[in-house]
Amino acid sequence: MSEVTQILNQIQQGDAAAAADLLPLVYTELRRLARHKMKSEAAGQALQPTALVHEAYVRLVGSEDLPKWDNRGHFFAAAAEAMRRILIENARRRQSLKRGGDRKRFEVAEDDAIIDAGDVDELLDLDSALTKLALCEPEMSKLVELRYFAGLSVEESAEVLGVSPRTVKRNWAFARAWLGRELNSDVEG
Amino acid sequence: MAVASEKSIFFQALDIASPRERAAYVQQACAGNEDLLTAVSALLLENERDGNPVDRPLAAAFLPTGVQIFDDEASASQFPPGTMVGPYQLMERIGEGGFGWVFVAQQQSPIQRRVALKIIKPGMESREVIARFEAERQAIALMDHPNIARVFDASVTQSAQPYFVMELVRGVPLTEFCDSHQLDMSERLELFMTICHAVQHAHQKGIIHRDLKPSNILVTLQDGKPLAKVIDFGVAKAIGQSLTIKTIYTRFTSMVGTPAYMSPEQAAMSTDDVDTRSDIYSLGVLLYEVLTGSTPLAPDRLQGAGFDELRRIIREEEPPRPSARLSTLDNDLARTVAVNRRLVPETLSTAMKRDLDWIVMKALDKDRNRRYSTAGAMAEDVSRFLSDQPINARPPSTRYRFAKFIRRNKVAISTVSLVALALILGTAMSVWQAREAIKERDEKVIALREARAAEHAANEARTELEKFNDRLNSTTVLLAAGRANADAQRWADAYAAYTEATQVLPKYFLVWLERGGLNAKLGRWGVAATDFSKAVEIGFPIEQAELSGVAQVLRYAGELDAYDTLCDKFRRSDVNDPMAVAARGRLVGELSSPEAATLADRAERMLSGMDDESNPTAIHQPKAKFHRYAKMFYGVNLYVAGWAHLKAGNYERAIQRLEESNRAVWFGRGIADPLIAIAHHKMGNAEDAVRCFDQSQSMLFRLLDESIEQSKGSPSIPWVDWVEFLINHREASIVVKGHTPAVDPRLRQVQKLAEATIAD
Repeated sequence: MSEVTQILNQIQQGDAAAAADLLPLVYTELRRLARHKMKSEAAGQALQPTALVHEAYVRLVGSEDLPKWDNRGHFFAAAAEAMRRILIENARRRQSLKRGGDRKRFEVAEDDAIIDAGDVDELLDLDSALTKLALCEPEMSKLVELRYFAGLSVEESAEVLGVSPRTVKRNWAFARAWLGRELNSDVEG
Repeated sequence: MAVASEKSIFFQALDIASPRERAAYVQQACAGNEDLLTAVSALLLENERDGNPVDRPLAAAFLPTGVQIFDDEASASQFPPGTMVGPYQLMERIGEGGFGWVFVAQQQSPIQRRVALKIIKPGMESREVIARFEAERQAIALMDHPNIARVFDASVTQSAQPYFVMELVRGVPLTEFCDSHQLDMSERLELFMTICHAVQHAHQKGIIHRDLKPSNILVTLQDGKPLAKVIDFGVAKAIGQSLTIKTIYTRFTSMVGTPAYMSPEQAAMSTDDVDTRSDIYSLGVLLYEVLTGSTPLAPDRLQGAGFDELRRIIREEEPPRPSARLSTLDNDLARTVAVNRRLVPETLSTAMKRDLDWIVMKALDKDRNRRYSTAGAMAEDVSRFLSDQPINARPPSTRYRFAKFIRRNKVAISTVSLVALALILGTAMSVWQAREAIKERDEKVIALREARAAEHAANEARTELEKFNDRLNSTTVLLAAGRANADAQRWADAYAAYTEATQVLPKYFLVWLERGGLNAKLGRWGVAATDFSKAVEIGFPIEQAELSGVAQVLRYAGELDAYDTLCDKFRRSDVNDPMAVAARGRLVGELSSPEAATLADRAERMLSGMDDESNPTAIHQPKAKFHRYAKMFYGVNLYVAGWAHLKAGNYERAIQRLEESNRAVWFGRGIADPLIAIAHHKMGNAEDAVRCFDQSQSMLFRLLDESIEQSKGSPSIPWVDWVEFLINHREASIVVKGHTPAVDPRLRQVQKLAEATIAD
């Protein structure tokens, strides 16, 4: 049994502290996978975070274990959070490169150039808006992580969060509108 | 900003298809509240609008590409010398590990001193890290030992990276020191014993190191004598690297050598089955290395091994005994090892034969039940070895004990032997032998009795320690369960977990603070105040983030003794806290105007610090971005400043700041209304006072209605804001209207709802 499966079982048995061990493992694996993929895959080929998350699942948990969905829920929640973190860290790094502070120390990688500076700012803004949303509606911010950062479908998100797909759809509408309002009000203010 | 109501209106509106009916519904539901209407309309507009940022697929190009070092360096460059991290100014970078970077830093307040500051690399759950550290903080603070570097503090940087502040130790790693100063065997062992004592001290306080290795034991010369300091106690646990083999393996490149110090149970990947005996194992590895110059399981073998092979080696392979390791050294290496220990190569292995072998191998036992039960017992055995007494690690035999006896009394015995030889007489010899045999028997009986007594005491101490460890561990688990359940709004489960924690470790302030916090969040003020009083009675370090709102609840529920004790502590501490926890706690009570003026000054300074671009803490945040992060703190501090001005009798300034706070974006927006009413009244603007009081009144009604509508014991604003608002509204009623408000039946209803949350 893999370590991740073991942790998932511990969580299942009510050991809440085990959940804390899950995130660093998933985080490390996702980073490793991403870097590996980006290097080996042909340039221009789109690599989707959602594909990464699912591949990490197969690698860390294995498909033969066939755990219950409830089990997988904890995994995907951790993966979504890890994915968000990875993407935000890299966006921050790009932003600091862009500001030019470290030009002589770092080569700018080819793909750094492809990304529009606006995208970087937008992602960082979205991230801080999401952090704010988590303060008043933690479940909604989790939902955004699952759907946006891990690319889960409405049904999958509903399974992870343990609510009905209808609730997911309604909450998604609210979270989306809330974030839109937050980001647009910042532009005006 | 009542988010929950805007949410319920939004959901209702979604179900109405016709735009006209929908608009009418929203109008009616907002009941004349213009702010709410604007907020909901903006939501509905956004709902219709295309091009929301979350609609676009995430750019895969944000995924990391470079090699590890690239990322690390980039984030390390966030911290050039001169950067302020909290009250610490970074100076030079002195180290880097798999976890983060270590800097020398200058602490500015409350005292000026140099410290070591360890910043954890991004990617570890920062909130979790700090929470875990908080849980251990009291125990860590209790550690006071000359051979342990103190851990002073932990917090997060502006970019949300956790950091630790520690006593600055300028030393070199243990093994390096021993070799470069060519310490001889007994000097090495003396030094090692001090390390055992340090570890023993920490274990008695319930702290396990989990990552003992030469680079965590720094040695300096003090008054010409080597002084070892163990660093990073409590840190491994807090950064949540439970240091399972997996986490270490995945960071192998940056942490080469670490698996060599890892105990078999750590390698077994059981995530939390690590106790003090893992540290004993690591001490065994250290002693092995100090004696032979290499770790029991050769690092090059560990490094070459795959993941599963690595685990197998650590869990199964018996290392050669230290003396055997030395005798198999090739000549060159043997010479180096011998020179460093000031021995001739031939005597190298005999020097430590047997006894030291036993000591080391006992500490390295794969079965932790057979290791030394405490670090102190291990030190004791090393000390026995040094004074040529029988060691405990070895199953005693008569011959062994007698051999020891002869070595101890070498001179006397040889004299006696010579005399005996000279006499040639067998009788004399027999007499001597008989006498010695009796003496030895007596000695044995005494030694045995002493050993039994010592073993008994050690066992008791160990059981006590294990019990405490277990209780602390299960408390941490229970608190985590409580938090998780509270996050998921399973109140009864959260309450049950916290309650169990209060039963397991009732002398621990945090269990009461956390359960009190849950009660307060649910609006159960009375029981919350009882919990908080308990925590105050036990006592705690004043920098706890969990203290937010504690004083207010104590005051509101009439626990005035506990309130005074807490405020006394607040008065004496001098922490600059952006959440103004202490200031808000003190402002709900009676305060002299000079005291209030001091609080006002501090809040104003905090505000200008947040505003000022030249502020060094803001260095890495462009102004606009920084504001967005700090918006919340800014709103809070406007309100606190205004409130303090009011109490200091500076009414005009008070009104100005409080009104600004009503325009700022923070969750407590609007709770300044009763204070504004009071300020107007004091200035003689009766009309404005009444107007503001009415505003405050309608906010109260709205929040009460909202709670009842949702069958909750408290409204959706943070409970700290809510309880302050209740206190201040009451005060405003007395000042402006001249009477205490009649108890609103809705308030009673809300109280009932609050009690019901836990009951079902």
